[in-house]
Amino acid sequence: MLGRVSFLTPGYHMGTDEPKSQQAVNTDVDSVLPAPHWSARILSRVSVLRTFALAFQKRSIEQRVLAGFGLVFAGILVISAISYRNMTVLIRNGHHDQRSHEFIQVLAATGDAIDDAETGHRRFLVTGDESYLSAYHILQQRATEYLGYLRELTGPDSIQRARVTQLEQLINQQLREEQAAIDLRKETGFESVRAMALAGVAKTTLDSARRLQAQMEQDETKALAQRVIESTTTTRSSIILLIIGALLLFVLLAAVYYLIRHDITARRRIADELQRRGELLEAANKELEAFSYSVSHDLRAPLRHIDGYASLLAKAASTSLDDKAKRYLQTISESATRMGQLIDDLLVFSRMGRQEMLRGTVNLNQLIASVLHDLRHDLQDRRISWTIAQLPDVTGDAAMLRQVFMNLVANAIKFTGTRPQATIEIGSRDNGQEEAVLFVRDNGVGFDMRYANKLFGVFQRLHRADEFEGTGIGLANVRRIIHRHGGKTWAEGVLGEGATFYVSLPLARTST
Amino acid sequence: MTLTKPILLAEDNPRDAELALAAMEEHHLADKVILCHDGAEVLDYLYCRGHFKARLQGNPAVVLLDLKMPKVDGLEVLRTIKSDASLKPIPVVMLTSSREERDLVESYALGANAYVVKPVEFHQFLKAVKELGVFWGLINEPPPEGTSSATSR
Repeated sequence: MLGRVSFLTPGYHMGTDEPKSQQAVNTDVDSVLPAPHWSARILSRVSVLRTFALAFQKRSIEQRVLAGFGLVFAGILVISAISYRNMTVLIRNGHHDQRSHEFIQVLAATGDAIDDAETGHRRFLVTGDESYLSAYHILQQRATEYLGYLRELTGPDSIQRARVTQLEQLINQQLREEQAAIDLRKETGFESVRAMALAGVAKTTLDSARRLQAQMEQDETKALAQRVIESTTTTRSSIILLIIGALLLFVLLAAVYYLIRHDITARRRIADELQRRGELLEAANKELEAFSYSVSHDLRAPLRHIDGYASLLAKAASTSLDDKAKRYLQTISESATRMGQLIDDLLVFSRMGRQEMLRGTVNLNQLIASVLHDLRHDLQDRRISWTIAQLPDVTGDAAMLRQVFMNLVANAIKFTGTRPQATIEIGSRDNGQEEAVLFVRDNGVGFDMRYANKLFGVFQRLHRADEFEGTGIGLANVRRIIHRHGGKTWAEGVLGEGATFYVSLPLARTST
Repeated sequence: MTLTKPILLAEDNPRDAELALAAMEEHHLADKVILCHDGAEVLDYLYCRGHFKARLQGNPAVVLLDLKMPKVDGLEVLRTIKSDASLKPIPVVMLTSSREERDLVESYALGANAYVVKPVEFHQFLKAVKELGVFWGLINEPPPEGTSSATSR
């Protein structure tokens, strides 16, 4: 029992976070239930319990609650078992008490019957009146019955049973001796039995029987008293145990309740927070959408007017304008056009982040072929040596991935523009995981690795606008698309020697 | 090939309207263009009411419709045209700054015959408007008048 109680304490300890309470509980239990060898074991276990407690604190909430309920269940089992045992003891004692009472009663009745028989017998001897023998006959008839009943009320191997047998022998002896006297009186008359009648026939036997009877009664009464004490002790310890058990269970349940409530509160708070953030995000997204819609609608109109009127002016005043003025007008038109291009790029970039993805298996070999077909006008008058490896199938949005490779290949073509003989290599590398690493390598102008982290930023350019055209949105789009596919982008380059752009993409399931 | 039916241009921005007319002028289509400054005016024209009460009967060769307009916007005008049996045959071309997907989707869903994004660059704008005017005003064969005028009266 004590072992169980001490086992219950870590839960209690855990729930309240009061390390002292553990020992306090143990001491209480020790004083209530006398079991010195247990308390020694508990003290040696305190350090073990502490490590157990630390391990418990690391468990997840589910495991803690489960452990808590497990302890409660174990506690209920232990208390039930001990209560059952105590109740059995009480019921057994009750039965024993009843038998003891009956035993004492029957014993007294037997004694009375013996006395009556003896008194009646002496009267007969004196008077010769046979009616005085009725008590003697009753004893004769019923002695077996009394003794059988007494035997029944004793335990099979008990001293009392042995004594019953002894008592039986004494009674039988008494009856035999008395019968002899009766026969003598009937045959020879009073004179021959005078001495017997005065002194008593079976005096020694009778005295022994009386002493035995008294001994038996005394012993039975003593046993009865002992059982009463035992029952009282058992009842008291049961009550104390139940109270302690109930308290422990209450504490455990309170701890488990605290754990669950704490967890539920935390979860509810997180859920509320998530919902709030979700709403904020949705609102922000809507705002962004409204913003880009308005950019798309309203910002381009003035640019169109600038270019339009500049062109109309150039046409209307073509005869009166000198070359310088014409160049100014040209610059106005070009700036407006460029700004229109920037707005378009920005809108595409923004849309790329919001647009829904249509995932499927993408054949990269076909995709590269179609990209090169689309770029054929840029390839005129260029000497490029192409190395295109067999590429794996990947999972993704075909249109978006097309945009990625369009940008990467167009960049390679663009930045090798200054090379008399350009070399562009498109290949893949299996990195052993569920993804493919694809690269586009060129021997173009390259870049300084110090600025590698700027390459994929929006409108970030590492070259002057008059060196290479472009708005600087291409690689930002590449990164956004690849990130949406769960992949990564990175680049390696040496200034003046070339660059390699890498993207990683999830492999198509069928190709693995 | 001469243009007999007018081109209805719905454009609230006077500069855009001027540029469009300038583009039409280059191809001698400007005098066939009827300019409306908002969606309500377009509907007035089509139903021969208000300012256009006294106009000659008959539908235009094409309606060039801006999306964002005061009073009644382009999509609303489009919905009215396409849900009226007498106006339904008129070709409607959305001519707008917007390249937003939802505008495209909604316009086509309502029955737009074409969707043209106004290019920022003037030369491309000129080209686009010219090609629109030539195609819808000259090349395209409009629905026979009888089918619609009979019910429009």
